[in-house]
Amino acid sequence: MTGPGASVDIGGRLLHLSNLEKVLYPEAFSPFTKGEVINYYARIAHVMLPHLVGRACTMLRFPDGVTGKSFFSKNLPTHAPVWFDRVTRNDVSYGVVNELAALIWMANMAALELHVPLHREAPGPRDVVAVQVEPDRIVFDLDPGPNTTIVECAQVALLIEQLLAPLGLVFRAKTSGSKGMQLYAIPPEPMPYGGSGGTTAFAKRVAEGLEATHPHLVVARMTKELRSGKVLIDWSQNVPGKTTIAVYSLRARQNPTVSTPVTWTEVQACAEGKALSFTADQVLSRVDEYGDLFAS
Amino acid sequence: MKLPSPEHCFLRHIVPDSRRIEAMARPIWTGTISFALLSVPVKLFTATRSKDISFNQIEKSTGKRIKQKRVSSETGEEVATEDIIKGYELSKERYVIIDPEELENLTPRDAANEKTVQIVDFIDGDEIDPIYYEKGYYIAPDKGGARPYSLLVQGMKATNKVAIAKVVLRQKEYVVAIRVKGDYLCMETMMFHDELVNPAEIDELAAVTSDLNEKEVEMAKMLIEASSSPFEPTKYRDEYRERVMALIEAKAAGEAYEMPTEQAPAQVIDLMAALEASLAAAKAKKSA
Repeated sequence: MTGPGASVDIGGRLLHLSNLEKVLYPEAFSPFTKGEVINYYARIAHVMLPHLVGRACTMLRFPDGVTGKSFFSKNLPTHAPVWFDRVTRNDVSYGVVNELAALIWMANMAALELHVPLHREAPGPRDVVAVQVEPDRIVFDLDPGPNTTIVECAQVALLIEQLLAPLGLVFRAKTSGSKGMQLYAIPPEPMPYGGSGGTTAFAKRVAEGLEATHPHLVVARMTKELRSGKVLIDWSQNVPGKTTIAVYSLRARQNPTVSTPVTWTEVQACAEGKALSFTADQVLSRVDEYGDLFAS
Repeated sequence: MKLPSPEHCFLRHIVPDSRRIEAMARPIWTGTISFALLSVPVKLFTATRSKDISFNQIEKSTGKRIKQKRVSSETGEEVATEDIIKGYELSKERYVIIDPEELENLTPRDAANEKTVQIVDFIDGDEIDPIYYEKGYYIAPDKGGARPYSLLVQGMKATNKVAIAKVVLRQKEYVVAIRVKGDYLCMETMMFHDELVNPAEIDELAAVTSDLNEKEVEMAKMLIEASSSPFEPTKYRDEYRERVMALIEAKAAGEAYEMPTEQAPAQVIDLMAALEASLAAAKAKKSA
Protein backbone atom coordinates (compact mmCIF):
# COMPACT_ATOMS: atom_id res chain seq x y z
CA MET A 1 0.00 0.00 0.00
CA THR A 2 1.30 3.43 -0.88
CA GLY A 3 -0.22 6.67 0.31
CA PRO A 4 -3.42 7.34 2.14
CA GLY A 5 -6.89 6.00 1.45
CA ALA A 6 -10.36 7.23 2.23
CA SER A 7 -13.72 5.77 3.06
CA VAL A 8 -16.63 7.33 1.22
CA ASP A 9 -20.38 6.88 1.36
CA ILE A 10 -21.95 7.16 -2.09
CA GLY A 11 -25.72 7.03 -1.86
CA GLY A 12 -25.53 4.51 0.98
CA ARG A 13 -22.81 2.41 -0.69
CA LEU A 14 -19.68 2.37 1.42
CA LEU A 15 -16.44 2.29 -0.56
CA HIS A 16 -12.87 2.28 0.61
CA LEU A 17 -10.68 4.16 -1.82
CA SER A 18 -7.01 3.26 -1.67
CA ASN A 19 -3.66 4.52 -2.94
CA LEU A 20 -5.07 7.89 -3.96
CA GLU A 21 -1.63 9.43 -4.52
CA LYS A 22 -0.33 6.66 -6.73
CA VAL A 23 0.66 8.08 -10.11
CA LEU A 24 -1.10 6.19 -12.89
CA TYR A 25 0.08 8.40 -15.77
CA PRO A 26 3.77 8.86 -14.91
CA GLU A 27 4.80 10.28 -18.30
CA ALA A 28 2.00 12.80 -18.61
CA PHE A 29 2.74 16.54 -18.88
CA SER A 30 1.70 16.70 -15.27
CA PRO A 31 1.60 13.35 -13.51
CA PHE A 32 -1.97 12.09 -13.01
CA THR A 33 -2.74 10.12 -9.85
CA LYS A 34 -5.38 7.56 -9.00
CA GLY A 35 -7.06 10.24 -6.86
CA GLU A 36 -7.32 12.37 -10.00
CA VAL A 37 -8.72 9.45 -11.99
CA ILE A 38 -11.42 8.93 -9.35
CA ASN A 39 -12.05 12.68 -9.23
CA TYR A 40 -12.48 12.74 -13.02
CA TYR A 41 -14.97 9.85 -13.05
CA ALA A 42 -16.92 11.33 -10.13
CA ARG A 43 -17.25 14.66 -11.93
CA ILE A 44 -18.03 13.23 -15.39
CA ALA A 45 -20.53 10.67 -14.02
CA HIS A 46 -23.63 12.83 -14.57
CA VAL A 47 -23.08 12.77 -18.35
CA MET A 48 -21.30 9.42 -18.59
CA LEU A 49 -23.66 7.19 -16.60
CA PRO A 50 -26.67 7.59 -18.93
CA HIS A 51 -24.53 5.98 -21.66
CA LEU A 52 -23.35 3.12 -19.44
CA VAL A 53 -26.67 2.17 -17.88
CA GLY A 54 -27.72 -1.34 -18.87
CA ARG A 55 -24.54 -2.13 -20.80
CA ALA A 56 -22.33 -5.09 -19.91
CA CYS A 57 -19.03 -3.43 -19.10
CA THR A 58 -15.56 -4.74 -19.89
CA MET A 59 -12.77 -3.08 -17.93
CA LEU A 60 -9.15 -2.55 -18.78
CA ARG A 61 -7.23 -2.30 -15.49
CA PHE A 62 -3.82 -0.69 -14.95
CA PRO A 63 -3.00 -1.35 -11.28
CA ASP A 64 0.57 -0.19 -11.84
CA GLY A 65 -0.23 2.72 -14.11
CA VAL A 66 -0.30 3.03 -17.89
CA THR A 67 3.32 1.97 -18.21
CA GLY A 68 2.76 -1.22 -16.22
CA LYS A 69 1.00 -4.47 -16.93
CA SER A 70 -2.68 -4.28 -17.89
CA PHE A 71 -5.57 -6.67 -17.28
CA PHE A 72 -8.49 -6.96 -19.63
CA SER A 73 -11.35 -8.24 -17.57
CA LYS A 74 -14.83 -9.16 -18.72
CA ASN A 75 -15.88 -11.00 -15.56
CA LEU A 76 -16.73 -8.74 -12.68
CA PRO A 77 -14.29 -9.84 -9.95
CA THR A 78 -15.95 -12.05 -7.36
CA HIS A 79 -14.89 -9.63 -4.62
CA ALA A 80 -17.00 -6.85 -6.16
CA PRO A 81 -19.68 -5.50 -3.80
CA VAL A 82 -22.95 -7.45 -3.69
CA TRP A 83 -24.93 -4.40 -4.86
CA PHE A 84 -23.01 -4.23 -8.14
CA ASP A 85 -25.44 -5.03 -11.00
CA ARG A 86 -24.39 -7.96 -13.13
CA VAL A 87 -25.51 -9.61 -16.32
CA THR A 88 -24.53 -13.05 -17.50
CA ARG A 89 -23.86 -13.61 -21.16
CA ASN A 90 -22.09 -16.69 -22.58
CA ASP A 91 -21.10 -17.75 -19.07
CA VAL A 92 -19.36 -14.44 -18.44
CA SER A 93 -20.70 -12.42 -15.51
CA TYR A 94 -20.28 -8.78 -16.56
CA GLY A 95 -20.66 -5.79 -14.29
CA VAL A 96 -23.22 -3.20 -15.33
CA VAL A 97 -22.32 0.34 -14.29
CA ASN A 98 -25.77 1.62 -13.39
CA GLU A 99 -24.81 4.05 -10.63
CA LEU A 100 -22.14 6.42 -9.41
CA ALA A 101 -20.85 4.02 -6.74
CA ALA A 102 -20.22 1.36 -9.41
CA LEU A 103 -18.28 3.81 -11.57
CA ILE A 104 -16.16 4.91 -8.61
CA TRP A 105 -15.55 1.29 -7.62
CA MET A 106 -14.26 0.66 -11.17
CA ALA A 107 -11.98 3.73 -10.96
CA ASN A 108 -10.66 2.59 -7.60
CA MET A 109 -9.75 -0.72 -9.27
CA ALA A 110 -7.59 1.37 -11.66
CA ALA A 111 -9.96 0.35 -14.45
CA LEU A 112 -8.95 3.37 -16.53
CA GLU A 113 -10.76 2.20 -19.65
CA LEU A 114 -14.35 1.01 -19.82
CA HIS A 115 -15.51 -0.73 -22.98
CA VAL A 116 -19.19 -1.37 -23.74
CA PRO A 117 -21.30 -3.03 -26.45
CA LEU A 118 -23.88 -1.22 -28.61
CA HIS A 119 -26.90 -2.63 -26.83
CA ARG A 120 -28.38 -2.38 -23.38
CA GLU A 121 -29.53 -5.45 -21.50
CA ALA A 122 -33.25 -5.62 -20.88
CA PRO A 123 -33.92 -4.32 -17.38
CA GLY A 124 -34.62 -7.21 -15.06
CA PRO A 125 -33.55 -8.73 -11.81
CA ARG A 126 -29.90 -8.50 -10.92
CA ASP A 127 -27.66 -11.22 -12.23
CA VAL A 128 -29.96 -11.98 -15.13
CA VAL A 129 -29.02 -14.22 -18.00
CA ALA A 130 -29.03 -12.05 -21.10
CA VAL A 131 -31.67 -12.58 -23.76
CA GLN A 132 -31.73 -11.38 -27.34
CA VAL A 133 -30.94 -7.70 -27.64
CA GLU A 134 -31.02 -4.92 -30.19
CA PRO A 135 -28.31 -2.27 -30.64
CA ASP A 136 -29.37 1.34 -30.12
CA ARG A 137 -26.63 2.70 -32.35
CA ILE A 138 -24.51 1.74 -35.32
CA VAL A 139 -20.81 2.42 -34.82
CA PHE A 140 -18.24 3.21 -37.49
CA ASP A 141 -14.89 2.88 -35.76
CA LEU A 142 -12.48 4.96 -37.85
CA ASP A 143 -9.01 3.62 -37.36
CA PRO A 144 -6.14 5.51 -39.02
CA GLY A 145 -3.59 3.28 -40.74
CA PRO A 146 0.15 4.00 -40.89
CA ASN A 147 0.87 7.53 -42.22
CA THR A 148 -2.60 8.81 -41.44
CA THR A 149 -4.05 10.67 -38.47
CA ILE A 150 -7.39 11.69 -37.01
CA VAL A 151 -7.60 14.27 -39.83
CA GLU A 152 -8.24 11.54 -42.41
CA CYS A 153 -10.66 9.90 -39.97
CA ALA A 154 -12.67 13.13 -39.85
CA GLN A 155 -12.69 13.23 -43.67
CA VAL A 156 -14.14 9.72 -43.71
CA ALA A 157 -16.67 10.70 -41.04
CA LEU A 158 -17.89 13.47 -43.36
CA LEU A 159 -18.20 10.96 -46.23
CA ILE A 160 -20.28 8.61 -44.10
CA GLU A 161 -22.51 11.45 -42.94
CA GLN A 162 -23.00 12.62 -46.54
CA LEU A 163 -24.00 9.11 -47.57
CA LEU A 164 -26.32 8.32 -44.69
CA ALA A 165 -27.92 11.56 -43.52
CA PRO A 166 -30.43 11.45 -46.41
CA LEU A 167 -31.60 8.07 -45.06
CA GLY A 168 -32.75 9.70 -41.85
CA LEU A 169 -29.81 8.65 -39.66
CA VAL A 170 -28.61 11.03 -36.97
CA PHE A 171 -24.93 11.19 -36.01
CA ARG A 172 -22.77 11.61 -32.93
CA ALA A 173 -19.00 11.74 -33.21
CA LYS A 174 -16.34 11.22 -30.57
CA THR A 175 -12.60 10.94 -30.50
CA SER A 176 -11.39 7.50 -29.53
CA GLY A 177 -9.08 9.19 -27.04
CA SER A 178 -6.31 7.31 -28.76
CA LYS A 179 -5.54 7.89 -32.47
CA GLY A 180 -8.85 7.68 -34.26
CA MET A 181 -12.47 8.56 -33.89
CA GLN A 182 -15.83 6.86 -33.77
CA LEU A 183 -18.92 7.90 -35.60
CA TYR A 184 -22.19 6.66 -34.14
CA ALA A 185 -25.38 6.62 -36.18
CA ILE A 186 -28.79 6.48 -34.56
CA PRO A 187 -31.09 4.54 -36.91
CA PRO A 188 -34.58 6.00 -37.42
CA GLU A 189 -36.09 2.69 -36.33
CA PRO A 190 -34.71 -0.08 -34.13
CA MET A 191 -32.62 -2.55 -36.13
CA PRO A 192 -31.37 -5.97 -35.09
CA TYR A 193 -27.65 -6.82 -35.22
CA GLY A 194 -28.06 -9.80 -37.55
CA GLY A 195 -29.86 -10.59 -40.77
CA SER A 196 -29.94 -8.80 -44.09
CA GLY A 197 -31.54 -5.72 -42.52
CA GLY A 198 -29.27 -5.74 -39.48
CA THR A 199 -26.64 -3.24 -38.37
CA THR A 200 -23.74 -5.63 -39.08
CA ALA A 201 -24.66 -5.99 -42.75
CA PHE A 202 -25.53 -2.30 -42.99
CA ALA A 203 -22.22 -1.04 -41.55
CA LYS A 204 -20.30 -3.52 -43.71
CA ARG A 205 -22.06 -2.30 -46.85
CA VAL A 206 -21.28 1.33 -45.95
CA ALA A 207 -17.60 0.48 -45.47
CA GLU A 208 -17.39 -1.50 -48.72
CA GLY A 209 -19.35 1.11 -50.65
CA LEU A 210 -17.03 3.91 -49.54
CA GLU A 211 -13.98 1.73 -50.19
CA ALA A 212 -15.23 1.39 -53.78
CA THR A 213 -15.93 5.12 -54.28
CA HIS A 214 -12.88 6.40 -52.32
CA PRO A 215 -10.22 3.69 -52.72
CA HIS A 216 -7.36 6.06 -51.84
CA LEU A 217 -8.82 7.03 -48.47
CA VAL A 218 -10.99 4.18 -47.24
CA VAL A 219 -10.37 0.50 -46.56
CA ALA A 220 -13.01 -1.92 -45.32
CA ARG A 221 -10.79 -4.92 -44.60
CA MET A 222 -8.59 -5.51 -41.58
CA THR A 223 -5.61 -6.79 -43.63
CA LYS A 224 -2.60 -4.82 -42.37
CA GLU A 225 -0.86 -4.45 -45.76
CA LEU A 226 -3.85 -2.67 -47.26
CA ARG A 227 -4.04 -0.02 -44.61
CA SER A 228 -1.09 2.33 -45.10
CA GLY A 229 -2.26 5.86 -45.89
CA LYS A 230 -5.89 4.89 -45.40
CA VAL A 231 -8.58 4.85 -42.76
CA LEU A 232 -10.11 1.52 -41.81
CA ILE A 233 -13.87 1.73 -41.37
CA ASP A 234 -14.12 -1.02 -38.79
CA TRP A 235 -17.71 -2.15 -39.23
CA SER A 236 -17.13 -5.42 -37.39
CA GLN A 237 -17.88 -3.91 -33.97
CA ASN A 238 -21.57 -4.03 -34.79
CA VAL A 239 -22.04 -7.47 -33.22
CA PRO A 240 -23.34 -8.33 -29.74
CA GLY A 241 -20.01 -9.75 -28.53
CA LYS A 242 -17.79 -6.76 -29.40
CA THR A 243 -17.20 -3.65 -27.35
CA THR A 244 -16.09 -0.11 -28.15
CA ILE A 245 -14.44 2.37 -25.80
CA ALA A 246 -17.22 4.01 -23.74
CA VAL A 247 -17.90 7.68 -24.31
CA TYR A 248 -16.08 9.81 -21.63
CA SER A 249 -13.80 6.87 -20.71
CA LEU A 250 -10.16 7.70 -20.00
CA ARG A 251 -7.57 6.06 -22.23
CA ALA A 252 -4.35 4.49 -21.05
CA ARG A 253 -2.09 6.73 -23.14
CA GLN A 254 0.84 8.90 -22.20
CA ASN A 255 -1.57 11.65 -21.14
CA PRO A 256 -5.01 11.11 -19.54
CA THR A 257 -6.89 11.59 -22.80
CA VAL A 258 -10.60 10.89 -23.01
CA SER A 259 -12.92 9.47 -25.66
CA THR A 260 -14.56 12.86 -26.14
CA PRO A 261 -17.81 13.74 -27.91
CA VAL A 262 -17.20 16.48 -30.47
CA THR A 263 -19.43 18.84 -32.42
CA TRP A 264 -19.95 18.44 -36.14
CA THR A 265 -18.19 21.78 -36.64
CA GLU A 266 -15.15 20.33 -34.86
CA VAL A 267 -15.26 17.27 -37.14
CA GLN A 268 -15.31 19.58 -40.18
CA ALA A 269 -12.41 21.66 -38.83
CA CYS A 270 -10.50 18.46 -38.07
CA ALA A 271 -11.03 17.24 -41.65
CA GLU A 272 -9.23 20.41 -42.73
CA GLY A 273 -6.25 19.67 -40.51
CA LYS A 274 -7.08 20.82 -36.98
CA ALA A 275 -6.00 18.34 -34.30
CA LEU A 276 -8.70 16.89 -32.09
CA SER A 277 -7.64 15.51 -28.71
CA PHE A 278 -8.77 16.28 -25.18
CA THR A 279 -7.56 15.36 -21.71
CA ALA A 280 -9.66 14.81 -18.60
CA ASP A 281 -9.56 18.44 -17.39
CA GLN A 282 -10.46 19.80 -20.82
CA VAL A 283 -13.37 17.38 -21.10
CA LEU A 284 -14.79 18.48 -17.76
CA SER A 285 -14.79 22.11 -18.87
CA ARG A 286 -16.24 21.13 -22.28
CA VAL A 287 -19.14 19.45 -20.49
CA ASP A 288 -19.70 22.66 -18.49
CA GLU A 289 -19.81 24.54 -21.78
CA TYR A 290 -21.64 22.15 -24.14
CA GLY A 291 -23.45 19.74 -21.84
CA ASP A 292 -23.57 16.16 -23.10
CA LEU A 293 -22.83 16.27 -26.83
CA PHE A 294 -23.44 12.56 -27.00
CA ALA A 295 -27.03 12.61 -25.75
CA SER A 296 -29.53 11.31 -28.30
CA MET B 1 -53.05 36.76 0.30
CA LYS B 2 -51.31 34.38 -1.99
CA LEU B 3 -52.82 34.18 -5.43
CA PRO B 4 -53.45 30.68 -6.74
CA SER B 5 -51.06 29.87 -9.53
CA PRO B 6 -52.34 30.93 -12.95
CA GLU B 7 -51.92 27.39 -14.15
CA HIS B 8 -54.24 26.12 -11.47
CA CYS B 9 -56.96 28.66 -12.27
CA PHE B 10 -56.90 27.91 -15.92
CA LEU B 11 -56.99 24.17 -15.48
CA ARG B 12 -59.92 24.22 -13.09
CA HIS B 13 -62.24 25.13 -15.92
CA ILE B 14 -61.13 22.42 -18.27
CA VAL B 15 -62.70 19.01 -18.23
CA PRO B 16 -60.54 16.73 -20.34
CA ASP B 17 -62.66 15.60 -23.25
CA SER B 18 -62.11 11.92 -22.56
CA ARG B 19 -64.02 12.47 -19.31
CA ARG B 20 -66.75 14.60 -20.83
CA ILE B 21 -70.09 12.88 -20.63
CA GLU B 22 -71.58 12.51 -24.07
CA ALA B 23 -75.03 14.04 -23.74
CA MET B 24 -77.97 12.62 -25.68
CA ALA B 25 -77.97 14.20 -29.11
CA ARG B 26 -80.34 17.15 -29.36
CA PRO B 27 -82.04 18.18 -32.64
CA ILE B 28 -80.85 21.44 -34.13
CA TRP B 29 -83.92 21.88 -36.32
CA THR B 30 -87.46 20.52 -36.54
CA GLY B 31 -89.63 20.68 -39.69
CA THR B 32 -90.86 18.66 -42.62
CA ILE B 33 -89.43 17.18 -45.76
CA SER B 34 -91.80 17.97 -48.53
CA PHE B 35 -91.86 16.32 -51.92
CA ALA B 36 -94.83 16.15 -54.22
CA LEU B 37 -97.69 14.93 -52.04
CA LEU B 38 -95.38 13.45 -49.40
CA SER B 39 -94.80 15.37 -46.19
CA VAL B 40 -92.45 13.88 -43.59
CA PRO B 41 -92.09 15.44 -40.13
CA VAL B 42 -88.40 15.26 -39.28
CA LYS B 43 -85.71 16.42 -36.89
CA LEU B 44 -82.12 17.23 -37.86
CA PHE B 45 -79.12 16.25 -35.78
CA THR B 46 -75.53 17.23 -36.49
CA ALA B 47 -73.60 14.17 -37.66
CA THR B 48 -70.13 15.40 -36.76
CA ARG B 49 -68.69 16.99 -33.68
CA SER B 50 -65.42 18.83 -33.73
CA LYS B 51 -63.06 17.79 -30.98
CA ASP B 52 -60.68 20.72 -31.25
CA ILE B 53 -59.37 21.72 -27.85
CA SER B 54 -60.17 25.30 -26.96
CA PHE B 55 -58.23 27.42 -24.54
CA ASN B 56 -59.25 30.47 -22.59
CA GLN B 57 -57.04 33.52 -22.64
CA ILE B 58 -55.59 34.11 -19.19
CA GLU B 59 -53.51 36.95 -17.80
CA LYS B 60 -50.12 35.59 -16.77
CA SER B 61 -49.71 37.51 -13.53
CA THR B 62 -53.23 37.18 -12.09
CA GLY B 63 -54.50 33.95 -13.62
CA LYS B 64 -57.76 35.69 -14.56
CA ARG B 65 -59.66 35.59 -17.82
CA ILE B 66 -58.98 38.18 -20.51
CA LYS B 67 -62.01 40.24 -21.53
CA GLN B 68 -62.31 41.88 -24.89
CA LYS B 69 -63.68 45.36 -25.24
CA ARG B 70 -65.01 46.89 -28.43
CA VAL B 71 -63.54 50.33 -28.81
CA SER B 72 -63.89 53.11 -31.33
CA SER B 73 -60.99 53.41 -33.72
CA GLU B 74 -61.62 57.17 -33.58
CA THR B 75 -61.71 57.88 -29.84
CA GLY B 76 -60.43 54.64 -28.28
CA GLU B 77 -63.50 54.70 -26.01
CA GLU B 78 -65.61 51.60 -25.41
CA VAL B 79 -68.75 51.45 -27.60
CA ALA B 80 -72.08 50.14 -26.25
CA THR B 81 -73.72 47.26 -28.13
CA GLU B 82 -76.79 49.34 -29.04
CA ASP B 83 -74.51 51.89 -30.69
CA ILE B 84 -72.97 49.33 -33.05
CA ILE B 85 -74.43 49.08 -36.57
CA LYS B 86 -73.29 47.22 -39.68
CA GLY B 87 -71.32 48.69 -42.56
CA TYR B 88 -70.24 47.09 -45.84
CA GLU B 89 -66.83 48.32 -46.95
CA LEU B 90 -66.98 49.70 -50.47
CA SER B 91 -63.44 50.99 -50.49
CA LYS B 92 -61.05 51.99 -47.77
CA GLU B 93 -62.97 53.89 -45.06
CA ARG B 94 -66.10 54.09 -47.22
CA TYR B 95 -69.04 52.08 -45.95
CA VAL B 96 -72.63 51.48 -46.95
CA ILE B 97 -74.50 51.49 -43.66
CA ILE B 98 -77.12 48.74 -43.31
CA ASP B 99 -79.79 48.73 -40.63
CA PRO B 100 -80.36 45.34 -38.94
CA GLU B 101 -84.06 45.72 -39.77
CA GLU B 102 -83.30 46.04 -43.46
CA LEU B 103 -81.49 42.70 -43.31
CA GLU B 104 -84.32 41.15 -41.34
CA ASN B 105 -86.66 41.84 -44.24
CA LEU B 106 -84.35 40.01 -46.64
CA THR B 107 -83.89 36.90 -44.47
CA PRO B 108 -85.01 33.86 -46.44
CA ARG B 109 -88.37 32.52 -45.37
CA ASP B 110 -90.24 29.48 -46.46
CA ALA B 111 -93.52 29.80 -48.23
CA ALA B 112 -96.30 30.01 -45.64
CA ASN B 113 -93.53 30.51 -43.05
CA GLU B 114 -93.21 26.77 -42.44
CA LYS B 115 -89.98 25.03 -41.91
CA THR B 116 -89.49 22.69 -44.82
CA VAL B 117 -86.81 20.75 -46.58
CA GLN B 118 -88.05 21.23 -50.13
CA ILE B 119 -86.89 18.43 -52.42
CA VAL B 120 -86.34 19.89 -55.87
CA ASP B 121 -84.64 17.07 -57.78
CA PHE B 122 -83.57 13.45 -57.57
CA ILE B 123 -80.23 12.64 -59.11
CA ASP B 124 -77.80 9.73 -59.31
CA GLY B 125 -75.60 9.61 -56.21
CA ASP B 126 -72.22 9.61 -57.90
CA GLU B 127 -73.06 12.77 -59.83
CA ILE B 128 -72.08 15.01 -56.93
CA ASP B 129 -68.45 16.06 -56.71
CA PRO B 130 -67.49 15.63 -52.99
CA ILE B 131 -65.87 19.07 -53.11
CA TYR B 132 -69.37 20.54 -52.72
CA TYR B 133 -70.01 18.90 -49.35
CA GLU B 134 -69.83 21.11 -46.30
CA LYS B 135 -71.29 19.53 -43.16
CA GLY B 136 -73.26 16.37 -42.39
CA TYR B 137 -76.55 15.90 -40.53
CA TYR B 138 -78.72 12.94 -39.63
CA ILE B 139 -82.41 13.17 -40.48
CA ALA B 140 -84.71 11.38 -38.01
CA PRO B 141 -88.50 11.02 -38.24
CA ASP B 142 -90.49 13.24 -35.86
CA LYS B 143 -93.88 12.25 -34.38
CA GLY B 144 -96.07 10.55 -36.97
CA GLY B 145 -93.26 10.62 -39.51
CA ALA B 146 -91.94 7.08 -39.24
CA ARG B 147 -94.02 5.58 -42.06
CA PRO B 148 -93.54 8.28 -44.73
CA TYR B 149 -89.86 8.50 -43.69
CA SER B 150 -89.39 4.76 -44.24
CA LEU B 151 -91.23 4.99 -47.54
CA LEU B 152 -88.82 7.66 -48.73
CA VAL B 153 -85.83 5.57 -47.59
CA GLN B 154 -87.04 2.45 -49.40
CA GLY B 155 -87.93 4.38 -52.55
CA MET B 156 -84.55 6.10 -52.72
CA LYS B 157 -82.76 2.84 -51.98
CA ALA B 158 -84.60 1.02 -54.76
CA THR B 159 -83.89 3.74 -57.32
CA ASN B 160 -80.38 4.43 -56.02
CA LYS B 161 -81.11 8.16 -56.02
CA VAL B 162 -79.99 11.18 -54.00
CA ALA B 163 -82.36 14.09 -53.35
CA ILE B 164 -81.32 17.69 -53.87
CA ALA B 165 -83.30 20.02 -51.63
CA LYS B 166 -83.42 23.56 -50.32
CA VAL B 167 -83.63 24.39 -46.65
CA VAL B 168 -83.19 27.40 -44.40
CA LEU B 169 -81.02 26.78 -41.33
CA ARG B 170 -80.13 29.61 -38.96
CA GLN B 171 -81.34 32.33 -41.33
CA LYS B 172 -79.21 31.04 -44.14
CA GLU B 173 -80.39 29.31 -47.23
CA TYR B 174 -78.73 26.04 -48.12
CA VAL B 175 -78.80 23.58 -50.97
CA VAL B 176 -78.45 20.09 -49.52
CA ALA B 177 -78.04 16.50 -50.68
CA ILE B 178 -80.17 13.86 -48.92
CA ARG B 179 -78.80 10.34 -49.10
CA VAL B 180 -79.70 6.96 -47.72
CA LYS B 181 -77.16 5.70 -45.20
CA GLY B 182 -78.03 2.18 -44.10
CA ASP B 183 -81.70 2.46 -43.15
CA TYR B 184 -81.60 6.17 -42.42
CA LEU B 185 -81.48 9.44 -44.25
CA CYS B 186 -78.64 11.82 -43.90
CA MET B 187 -78.13 15.25 -45.28
CA GLU B 188 -75.08 17.20 -46.42
CA THR B 189 -75.16 20.96 -46.74
CA MET B 190 -73.36 21.95 -49.91
CA MET B 191 -71.43 24.94 -51.17
CA PHE B 192 -73.13 26.99 -53.86
CA HIS B 193 -71.55 26.72 -57.25
CA ASP B 194 -70.20 30.27 -57.20
CA GLU B 195 -68.46 29.59 -53.87
CA LEU B 196 -66.10 27.06 -55.48
CA VAL B 197 -62.68 28.26 -56.58
CA ASN B 198 -62.17 27.82 -60.30
CA PRO B 199 -59.05 25.67 -60.84
CA ALA B 200 -58.15 27.98 -63.72
CA GLU B 201 -57.24 30.57 -61.07
CA ILE B 202 -54.40 28.31 -59.94
CA ASP B 203 -51.49 28.89 -62.32
CA GLU B 204 -49.52 25.92 -61.03
CA LEU B 205 -52.19 23.53 -62.29
CA ALA B 206 -51.38 24.51 -65.87
CA ALA B 207 -48.18 22.43 -65.64
CA VAL B 208 -50.15 19.17 -65.35
CA THR B 209 -49.67 17.05 -68.43
CA SER B 210 -51.01 13.78 -69.78
CA ASP B 211 -48.06 13.42 -72.14
CA LEU B 212 -46.32 10.61 -70.24
CA ASN B 213 -44.26 7.56 -70.96
CA GLU B 214 -46.50 4.48 -70.87
CA LYS B 215 -43.94 2.52 -68.83
CA GLU B 216 -43.86 5.21 -66.16
CA VAL B 217 -47.65 5.14 -65.95
CA GLU B 218 -47.53 1.36 -65.54
CA MET B 219 -45.01 1.78 -62.74
CA ALA B 220 -47.20 4.35 -61.00
CA LYS B 221 -50.19 2.02 -61.31
CA MET B 222 -48.22 -0.84 -59.80
CA LEU B 223 -47.01 1.24 -56.87
CA ILE B 224 -50.54 2.44 -56.16
CA GLU B 225 -52.02 -1.02 -56.36
CA ALA B 226 -49.31 -2.39 -54.09
CA SER B 227 -50.24 0.04 -51.33
CA SER B 228 -54.00 -0.11 -51.80
CA SER B 229 -56.26 -1.13 -48.92
CA PRO B 230 -59.87 -0.60 -47.87
CA PHE B 231 -60.63 2.74 -46.22
CA GLU B 232 -60.55 2.36 -42.45
CA PRO B 233 -61.37 5.68 -40.81
CA THR B 234 -60.37 4.39 -37.37
CA LYS B 235 -56.79 4.15 -38.63
CA TYR B 236 -56.39 7.91 -38.67
CA ARG B 237 -56.26 9.82 -35.41
CA ASP B 238 -55.61 13.40 -34.41
CA GLU B 239 -52.33 12.68 -32.68
CA TYR B 240 -51.61 16.31 -31.95
CA ARG B 241 -54.89 16.60 -30.03
CA GLU B 242 -54.09 13.42 -28.10
CA ARG B 243 -50.73 14.82 -27.04
CA VAL B 244 -52.23 18.16 -26.00
CA MET B 245 -54.90 16.34 -23.97
CA ALA B 246 -52.27 14.14 -22.31
CA LEU B 247 -50.34 17.29 -21.39
CA ILE B 248 -53.47 18.92 -19.93
CA GLU B 249 -54.45 15.83 -17.96
CA ALA B 250 -50.96 15.37 -16.57
CA LYS B 251 -50.76 19.03 -15.49
CA ALA B 252 -54.26 18.92 -13.99
CA ALA B 253 -53.23 15.89 -11.96
CA GLY B 254 -50.12 17.75 -10.83
CA GLU B 255 -47.77 15.40 -12.62
CA ALA B 256 -44.72 16.29 -14.62
CA TYR B 257 -45.35 15.74 -18.28
CA GLU B 258 -42.55 14.25 -20.29
CA MET B 259 -42.31 16.08 -23.58
CA PRO B 260 -42.26 13.58 -26.42
CA THR B 261 -38.92 13.72 -28.17
CA GLU B 262 -38.91 14.71 -31.78
CA GLN B 263 -39.31 11.56 -33.79
CA ALA B 264 -37.81 11.06 -37.18
CA PRO B 265 -40.50 10.48 -39.80
CA ALA B 266 -41.52 6.85 -40.00
CA GLN B 267 -39.16 4.91 -42.21
CA VAL B 268 -41.26 3.37 -44.93
CA ILE B 269 -38.51 2.06 -47.10
CA ASP B 270 -36.00 -0.39 -45.80
CA LEU B 271 -32.70 1.15 -44.81
CA MET B 272 -30.54 -1.32 -46.72
CA ALA B 273 -32.33 -0.57 -50.00
CA ALA B 274 -31.99 3.16 -49.32
CA LEU B 275 -28.26 2.68 -48.71
CA GLU B 276 -27.86 0.89 -52.04
CA ALA B 277 -29.59 3.78 -53.80
CA SER B 278 -27.42 6.29 -51.98
CA LEU B 279 -24.24 4.36 -52.89
CA ALA B 280 -25.32 4.12 -56.53
CA ALA B 281 -25.93 7.88 -56.59
CA ALA B 282 -22.50 8.53 -55.05
CA LYS B 283 -20.88 6.31 -57.67
CA ALA B 284 -22.74 8.00 -60.52
CA LYS B 285 -21.72 11.42 -59.26
CA LYS B 286 -18.10 10.38 -59.08
CA SER B 287 -17.92 8.92 -62.56
CA ALA B 288 -19.87 11.84 -64.08
